[in-house]
Amino acid sequence: MSARKPMTAIRIAGVSRAFAAIAAVDDISLDIADGEFFTLLGPSGCGKTTLLRMVAGFCDLDRGAIHFGERRIDTLPPHRRNAGMVFQNYAIFPNLSVAGNVAYGLRARGVAAPDIAAKVARALKLVHLDGYGERWPHQLSGGQLQRVAIARCLVIEPAVLLLDEPLSNLDAQLRVEMRGEIRQLQQTLKITALYVTHDQEEALAISDRIAVMRAGRFEQIGAPDEIYRRPATPFVAEFMGTTNLLAGAVTGGAGAWKHVEVGGQEFRLAAHGAKPRQTIAFSLRPETLRPVAPGETPPPGWAVVTARLEHVEFLGALTRMDMSLGDGTRLRVAALDLPTGWVRRSGTVELAYDPARITAFPAA
Amino acid sequence: MRRPVMRRPGFPLVVTLLALAFLGLFLLYPLFGIFKASVLDSTGAHVTANNYLRVLGRSFYQRALGNSLAIGAAATVVTTLIGVPLAFCLARIRIPGKSVLLALATLPLVLPSFVGAYALVLLFGRAGIVTQALRAIGIPFDSIYGAPGLVVVYALTLFPYVLLPTLAAFKAVDISVEEAGQNLGASRWRTWWTVILPIVMPAVLAGALLVFMDTLENFGVPFVLAEDMPILAVEAWKQFVGETGGNPATAGVLGVLLIVCTTLTLLAQRHYLARRRFATGARTAPPLLAVAPPVRALAVGFSWGIVALALVPFCAVIVISLLRFRGPVLTAEFSLGNFAQLFARAPGPLANTLLLASGAAVAAALLGVPIGYVLTRTRTRLTGLLDVVAMVPFAVAGTVLGIGLVIAFNSGFLVLTGGWLILVIAYAVRKLPFNVRASSAILHQIDPSLEEASINLGVSPAMTFVKLTVPLMLGGIVGGMVLTWVTVASELSSTVILYSGKWSTMTIVMFQALEGTSAGVASAAATVLIVVTIAPLALINRLLRRQGASLM
Repeated sequence: MSARKPMTAIRIAGVSRAFAAIAAVDDISLDIADGEFFTLLGPSGCGKTTLLRMVAGFCDLDRGAIHFGERRIDTLPPHRRNAGMVFQNYAIFPNLSVAGNVAYGLRARGVAAPDIAAKVARALKLVHLDGYGERWPHQLSGGQLQRVAIARCLVIEPAVLLLDEPLSNLDAQLRVEMRGEIRQLQQTLKITALYVTHDQEEALAISDRIAVMRAGRFEQIGAPDEIYRRPATPFVAEFMGTTNLLAGAVTGGAGAWKHVEVGGQEFRLAAHGAKPRQTIAFSLRPETLRPVAPGETPPPGWAVVTARLEHVEFLGALTRMDMSLGDGTRLRVAALDLPTGWVRRSGTVELAYDPARITAFPAA
Repeated sequence: MRRPVMRRPGFPLVVTLLALAFLGLFLLYPLFGIFKASVLDSTGAHVTANNYLRVLGRSFYQRALGNSLAIGAAATVVTTLIGVPLAFCLARIRIPGKSVLLALATLPLVLPSFVGAYALVLLFGRAGIVTQALRAIGIPFDSIYGAPGLVVVYALTLFPYVLLPTLAAFKAVDISVEEAGQNLGASRWRTWWTVILPIVMPAVLAGALLVFMDTLENFGVPFVLAEDMPILAVEAWKQFVGETGGNPATAGVLGVLLIVCTTLTLLAQRHYLARRRFATGARTAPPLLAVAPPVRALAVGFSWGIVALALVPFCAVIVISLLRFRGPVLTAEFSLGNFAQLFARAPGPLANTLLLASGAAVAAALLGVPIGYVLTRTRTRLTGLLDVVAMVPFAVAGTVLGIGLVIAFNSGFLVLTGGWLILVIAYAVRKLPFNVRASSAILHQIDPSLEEASINLGVSPAMTFVKLTVPLMLGGIVGGMVLTWVTVASELSSTVILYSGKWSTMTIVMFQALEGTSAGVASAAATVLIVVTIAPLALINRLLRRQGASLM
């Protein structure tokens, strides 16, 4: 298992599938590099699970092709694809012991009994379940069941690893722990992984690259920080955590830097080719707005807007604030380690921001 | 998220096609034979409506149809009047020995109903024990032959059809809706009528329609109790095997009429249920009611009384079978003579019954489990068709299916009449809807991702079904097979058409004893049938309760 396995990139080309005239997956193409951890992220019904199940073979393609390396696999039945899958509800066979579960795929491959025992033991050690082989599934916790599912999957040395929301049934703390372990295992084994989730934080934490999906199509593909900081569409900006989606008319500016008026305040942002009086939509994350304390000066190059404080929510490390602009437009602000005394006393607050952190969207 | 369905041909397609071929040959083709017989003239060359006009024009058959429907309706009403209060008592009132009572209350469904009818004859017939006792003390009592006897037997044997779903519904009523009703100012009585009863009504009606259908299809009970009163299912049999050589055209018309009645009932039930939902959402069953001691005593008396009344005839038969008959006269002496006589005359039938029931149980499972699997796990136009066809036997009376099988396989490309296979086929087809439903019910509790995990690990879909799904379903499959076995062992309505001398069964022995006057042999045969039914049931009782499966 620890031996270097052959290169397995996943190539998805022009793949589509419709259910009753609704395109679940709509002409999607994607190349996943060998050893890459790639995540399909999106709200429920966006087609991410359908796409994963197409790779696994549980959902037929209307059009397109899927390759593992040089080998075309979408024409193969699912049990010949050698794509290990971890299911949302673990799908541990309740009639088999832990060792029986892990050995299941090896038996199907006709591996000799002594080899099976050795491989099962190694796989269980890999997921920190050494000595659990004789236990029965009903004696295990959710996290342990998930480890069995992963061991069962890895022991057959699959060409790729497919994970369908594997952490959604675990409680919050275990989820964070397990995602770290999954990532570490994937890195150790250098296996290509395709991961499906609707949890943006999980996707950001675990992935090499993320594809944000919506209505059967990719909205954006990129590295986690790129997706978060440079969302390609308002949908991505909103889906990847909280943001302020604002829109206003261009009032002036020079070169790429434009002034855009929203609620009586001028925002400075980069918008190539925008014409005067054109309406521009842009995203500004709450944590990029920094309240300026009395007597403090913002860093050089930063811009400032003034807003009225509506509501403060102190959450410990984080302080969330609801502000409003002149016309009532809502502005969400989040600050780390902020002494709230002066903020609470203020009627209006100056908010400083780095104009480079604003993402403008092309006019729709 | 909606689970996309696989369209890849393979295992499901093979099962679907094989199942459709089997049902086409042994269900649809025989039914078509009946239909053909009903629309062909006496030369068999021309299509005619005369058969229908002739049959429907004769007052005898009009009465047969009317009797079947009227007795069915009356039995349904009485059954409901027994089943609903009983369900309420079991759901909401403290009754001693409740779990035993419930287990006993489901027994009448599997005990052979014509044995119950025969028991009633032994007690209340013209020469019945109770009848004579009543006459001896000067109370005039004629006998229970005819409509009253039929309704009583149906009510006492079929009430579990209403009891079981209604009990489940009462238990699923969230106590908060009841409290809400009272909180809004309704009295307890008013809440019952305006809130509780409407919530359980779909369950009541679902059960009641099953009762109605069962009465239409029943052959044994009217055969024993109807005497001169014409009943559709019995007349179809008489016309088919009649002493005058049989009249397939008339039998065909009666068969088609019977199918139309049962199908309409089934469709009415489906239509009604499709637009309603059972009460659900109760996290726990509603608490028991605190009722005044006299009310509780009444409830306890009623509950145990009904169940006792339903089982007493069966106990009476067993006792009577152990007494000595002098000719037709019963004495108070203990004797095993009836059994000696039974087995001296016919050692084969018991073995036949055990063999045929075992064969049918295996065949019904081999058919029902894969069909249930395919219908639960895949949705295509072809499986949609199979779903409909596999439920057809439900609406076909055993007599009618028997007639169809004889018409289809008495001559021609495949001759089966006179052998054991045709009996096993008839039983397997008749029990198919039950087996398919039972399998679906188990499969709904098994997450499909288990099978996907197995396939994903490299085991083909067909092998996954054999190595993973079947073991996971095993408890339910065995339970279903035992229930099939038990009901087939006491099957009469299609056996009476399809049996041959060599393959006579226990039910046939009893049937023939009824036609004669050999009450001793008949009661011994009845006792054997009761034992054959109860023994396996006792074995699986625990299993069934763990599965939470109902007998339907």
